Amino acid sequence: MSRSDDDFDYDDFGDVAAELALALPPVDPSPDLKARLMAQVAVTPQLPARTSEPAPSAEPAPTAGLAPVTSLAPAATPATDARPASPAEQKANARWFTRTSATLVAAAAAVALFFGGVVSANLFQPGDDAQQLAAIVAAPDVQTVAAPVTDGGSATLVSSESLGLSAMVFDGLPELSDDEAYALWYITDGEPTPAGLFTVEENGEVVQVLDGAFEAGTIVGVTVEPSTGSPAPTTTPIVAIPTEA
Amino acid sequence: MTLLATRPRRVHRAAAHPARPARAPRDQHPPGMLVLVSTDPEAERDPLSSPDVANALLQRVATGDQRAFSDLYDLTASRMLGLVRHVLKDHSQSEEVVQEVMLEIWQTASRFDPNKGKAVTWMLTMAHRRAIDRVRSAQSSRDRDTKVGIRDLDREFDSVSESVEIRVEHDRVEKALSRLTDLQRQAVELAYYGGYSHSEVAEMLSVPIGTVKTRLRDGMIRLREEMGVAS
Repeated sequence: MSRSDDDFDYDDFGDVAAELALALPPVDPSPDLKARLMAQVAVTPQLPARTSEPAPSAEPAPTAGLAPVTSLAPAATPATDARPASPAEQKANARWFTRTSATLVAAAAAVALFFGGVVSANLFQPGDDAQQLAAIVAAPDVQTVAAPVTDGGSATLVSSESLGLSAMVFDGLPELSDDEAYALWYITDGEPTPAGLFTVEENGEVVQVLDGAFEAGTIVGVTVEPSTGSPAPTTTPIVAIPTEA
Repeated sequence: MTLLATRPRRVHRAAAHPARPARAPRDQHPPGMLVLVSTDPEAERDPLSSPDVANALLQRVATGDQRAFSDLYDLTASRMLGLVRHVLKDHSQSEEVVQEVMLEIWQTASRFDPNKGKAVTWMLTMAHRRAIDRVRSAQSSRDRDTKVGIRDLDREFDSVSESVEIRVEHDRVEKALSRLTDLQRQAVELAYYGGYSHSEVAEMLSVPIGTVKTRLRDGMIRLREEMGVAS
């Protein structure tokens, strides 16, 4: 049920209402609430500031497959809108944003699944991927970059240089034939290093910690390879995500 | 709703517990409560009344700073959960709401305008709204009336380990509430603390809905005057 005239509008009394709220005894949240939240935050883009700045779409189009996370949110704002948006437009933008970020939120949910302790069998490969992902997300220098995947879906790279680890969170990734697999690559100075193979199930969701050491400034790429793997990429990357040096 | 008729009048805390110390030493804070390093007297009265800390954090969050978000969460989560659980009662549902609100804060931090108010106010307003939405959508919301009736701040305080700062804030608000007329106070308590709609409050108090709206508004204005909060 939605709110209506039947509800008091506290907007004019936010200050008083806050005083009323602060008079209540605080209740400590369970520790895993924060863990779940921080995992979501790591893969959830933010709304752009509501200003009259020129539309971000004026930026040059990013190289195919390269899209820093900061460009995702602005992309949700309709282009060529150099004046302040009207309230209706802002609402529309917000809705639009919500929809386009749904896949990322789904990715966040996939990450959060781990923290909730409900890990579907196919979401994580066996081993300590989940633990490593948690460590990355919790690292003080965690970097998060999201990008669309060429054949559909989205990828979010979560990395920490201090840990030397990175993980990719995929959503909506197409299933492959039995003799194919997705291959992860660390690409440093144009030199690709294999970082693991994986497949996805029907739901297209997978979280994959990369093999090998992550270094800031490297590019993480994904290609489709024979299921036995390849020493070097044999196809065009479906996504490539640069990281800040 | 006959609960109101039998509701005992509030006894002001300060009068009921004259021996209660005004402040406890810093190192005797119960675990889990907010401890700020600031020694600003204003900040000591209410740890969140010093707007700078939360405001600065929220503005950093708006730039994508996840550490700032972590700090902001640590600073405010227990207060937010205190509010949401007071309205919702159910602990796990309340945690869900706090998680939703906190994520919304992360997403929309750039929309916070420090010229229009404090970060904590912005955050708690969002949390209160979500808590009410959740109450409305819950099938069990109608059952709350009979189960819970009018909430009593004091009862909740008696069951938790008290923090002096919260107590001071609590006393201040309770004192302000006691300056309202009965109808104003009941309207504010039911609508804000209880999360009841105008029509529900009208039904519970057996007064026309227009009267509820007026009393609520008058009550909030009076509270603002009594508490001397900056608007």
